[in-house]
Amino acid sequence: MLWRYVPPIAVFVAVLIAWQAYAVITGAPAYLLPKPLAVLRSLVADRDNLLSSLGWTALAALGGFAASALIGVSIAVLLSTSTILRRAFYPYTVFFQTVPIIAIAPMLVILMGFGILPVVVCAFIVSVFPVIANTLTGLLSTDPALVDLFRLYGARPVAAMWKLRLPSALPNIFTGLRISAGLAVIGTVVAEFFVGEIVRGEGLGVRIVSATKQGEPDLAFAAVLLASLLGLTMFGAVNLISHFALRRWHASEQ
Amino acid sequence: MRSITVAWAPRPRKSAIARAGRSCHKQSLAILKCLLLGVLLSACLSGCHRDEHQATTITLDWKPEPEFGGFYQAQVSGAFKNRGLDIELKSAGAGAPTWQLVASGQTEFATAAADEVLIARAKGADVVAVFAVYQTSPQGIMVHRSRGFSSIGDLFTHPGILAAEDSTWLKYLLGKYPAPIVTITGYSSGVTVFLAKHDYSQQCFVTSEPLLAAREGGDPQTFLIADAGYNPYTTVLITRGETVRNHPQKVKQVVEACREGWRKYLDDPSAANAVMAKLNTEMDAKTFELAAAAQKPLIETEETRKSGLGVMTSQRWTQLAKQLVDLKVLVMAPSAENCFVDVDKLPAN
Amino acid sequence: MQEIVTSPHATGVGIEVRGVRRVFDSGVIALDGLSLNIHPGEFIAILGPSGCGKSTLLRLIAGLDKPQSGSITIADDPDTPATKAREHLAYVFQDAHLLPWRSVLDNVALPLELLGIQRGQRLAPSRQAIERVGLSDAVDRYPNQLSGGMRMRVSLARAMVTQPRLLLLDEPFAALDEITRQRLDEQLRELWLAARMTVVFVTHSTAEAVFLADRAVVLSKRPGQIIADHTIELPPNRAGPIRATPEFARQTRVLYEALDRGQT
Repeated sequence: MLWRYVPPIAVFVAVLIAWQAYAVITGAPAYLLPKPLAVLRSLVADRDNLLSSLGWTALAALGGFAASALIGVSIAVLLSTSTILRRAFYPYTVFFQTVPIIAIAPMLVILMGFGILPVVVCAFIVSVFPVIANTLTGLLSTDPALVDLFRLYGARPVAAMWKLRLPSALPNIFTGLRISAGLAVIGTVVAEFFVGEIVRGEGLGVRIVSATKQGEPDLAFAAVLLASLLGLTMFGAVNLISHFALRRWHASEQ
Repeated sequence: MRSITVAWAPRPRKSAIARAGRSCHKQSLAILKCLLLGVLLSACLSGCHRDEHQATTITLDWKPEPEFGGFYQAQVSGAFKNRGLDIELKSAGAGAPTWQLVASGQTEFATAAADEVLIARAKGADVVAVFAVYQTSPQGIMVHRSRGFSSIGDLFTHPGILAAEDSTWLKYLLGKYPAPIVTITGYSSGVTVFLAKHDYSQQCFVTSEPLLAAREGGDPQTFLIADAGYNPYTTVLITRGETVRNHPQKVKQVVEACREGWRKYLDDPSAANAVMAKLNTEMDAKTFELAAAAQKPLIETEETRKSGLGVMTSQRWTQLAKQLVDLKVLVMAPSAENCFVDVDKLPAN
Repeated sequence: MQEIVTSPHATGVGIEVRGVRRVFDSGVIALDGLSLNIHPGEFIAILGPSGCGKSTLLRLIAGLDKPQSGSITIADDPDTPATKAREHLAYVFQDAHLLPWRSVLDNVALPLELLGIQRGQRLAPSRQAIERVGLSDAVDRYPNQLSGGMRMRVSLARAMVTQPRLLLLDEPFAALDEITRQRLDEQLRELWLAARMTVVFVTHSTAEAVFLADRAVVLSKRPGQIIADHTIELPPNRAGPIRATPEFARQTRVLYEALDRGQT
């Protein structure tokens, strides 16, 4: 069973070797192109600070992701019940995705002050749209014959939503969540650029900006690496849950 | 009987499909070839075009504002052109420090702060300073006047927010006030949050944000970092050591053009301000005027009246280097002579 | 000619279709003034070419669509309100359409669940229905573990679990292979003989209609009009071999000729 992890790990190792070789051969200075070994060294040397920053980012990212999941699915459920509502509001949900964080961060800060809340909200804003879009698609593609069947037996709309549409849309919901996980991490890190507390290093975003400003790209890369691992872990968790939820019946998990 | 039918049926179908597939394949190959040719052609053309238009770039480390007035003035009044220089002024955004752009060759000249030059050299980047706009650093912290602070120390010892980049001057202040009560957060440009929140303070250039805030009806009060004891040369024109060694004449010309531009700008900033106002719509004409006036004493001092605009002394570079070592930003102080170049001492070809 | 005797305790309902007209949003006229009287406990087959409106008629009877004009009354006596009569209605689609995330047992129990019956009281009738279609070992399996024929049997069990008085089927076995189809036909007929609900069975196949039904109605091409209403002259207990008899062939012939007429 573990053999399936060999290909991606092999790719990772190959890329690292190529990167190290390129840096050594071209003799690029450390402040331009950090070598993987240097990044690793920074990671180990600064591990306490980096790990505490990671914890902070993880908390915010998970909060934003959870909000996306709950609120995104709820919005999709609401939009699925009425064509007019859908036509009126669905186009605007795209704005969630396109709004630049640089522009809204100051506004969020004015509304909510500093701390973890504006970061969580940023993570939510950036990651909610895929959940809405995918869930909505799933809800609207429910088997029409089954919808008829439910109608035939006089099922109320709530029962039809809970027992038919939502379970039927579950594969789509998981697809949305997979995409949303990574976006939540990105949203968190970028928000931290503007909002993160510097002295205690609240957030990997703060570390990245500081390290860049000080001309220490290997430290910046180390922080970026941790952020990527966070995103990967969240993605993996969604996959795991999806596997257990769908394994008995959906083709994607067979 | 049945088995024979099954055996025969697939074959004729397959060749028909294969034939169709192959012609499709040929078509897509042809399209690909055309695309490739197009790309190569356009790359060639743009490359050729570039060769005829090799301007020297000066990358300024912020948006067009009075802190760069002299450079724009030099361009406007032809100071560069008269010396046979084709100069392009660019603005860097937030992101990689400008010394990295110079060191990697992406830009020939740039502006940076003196402490950045020292850090760059410590990392092995051969960048040198040739002209310092500010003798006194305009770096400051902007607070709400109504809070009644009398020094930077007050800010650090009262609750509130300070938005600042994690730069060396911040490290210096944290060294002076090691247990800050104020919360220090990341910095985004603009004064929106400052105007909205009373307990919010932010880093600033004395010629920029406080004037913007005042225009919008805020009550800014600025404390200069220089007054707190940290005063690196700021908005320093830097280039690669290699450029100075190989093209000393060019560097000399550039610096002399800048001196001329700054002289003109200090005397009458209106022409350059007009040009910059078009590029930076955040500041209005009045603010440009006020800023240009406010920065004069930071640029023109006893030293410059004696030795010319943009002059630098090795004593100040040495002092700065020592401060960085004390802050543990540098392990070893580089020698001052390597950090800056007095272009007047360069061989006249 | 055999008389179809409906027992005085028949559980089926009668259906009266009067002058029904159904036009789709696209402007297509599916049915134009169709009238039909279906007797309680009758097994009636509806045949016709593609697009003639037979599925539309079934949906109208089920109440899934509304006619533009005309009416459909469902009752076994005039005093029963139509809404109450619809409570015991079941519909079988062309594909099994099971809920893939539920086991066979929970799929079959679905109608009872939707009608508000508690879990404790749902299990027994569901298991019974599953046993009736011969799938007792598959109660805990999931639809993706079943063959097409088994899935259709689950669909049948689901339809039967509420002991419907009216069973509507829309070409349910069309997607299955010949042998499975015949087996399911036989199973359906057995279920009907035991429960005697009214069955309306839409099909393309004259052989299937003759095997299953007491009465076959043939519709013309769109908009469907009744061009034949034929009582099937075969004994009530029909086993597999009856398909090979000349009597069977004669009945199919009648229907086939009617279909042919309807095409022109």
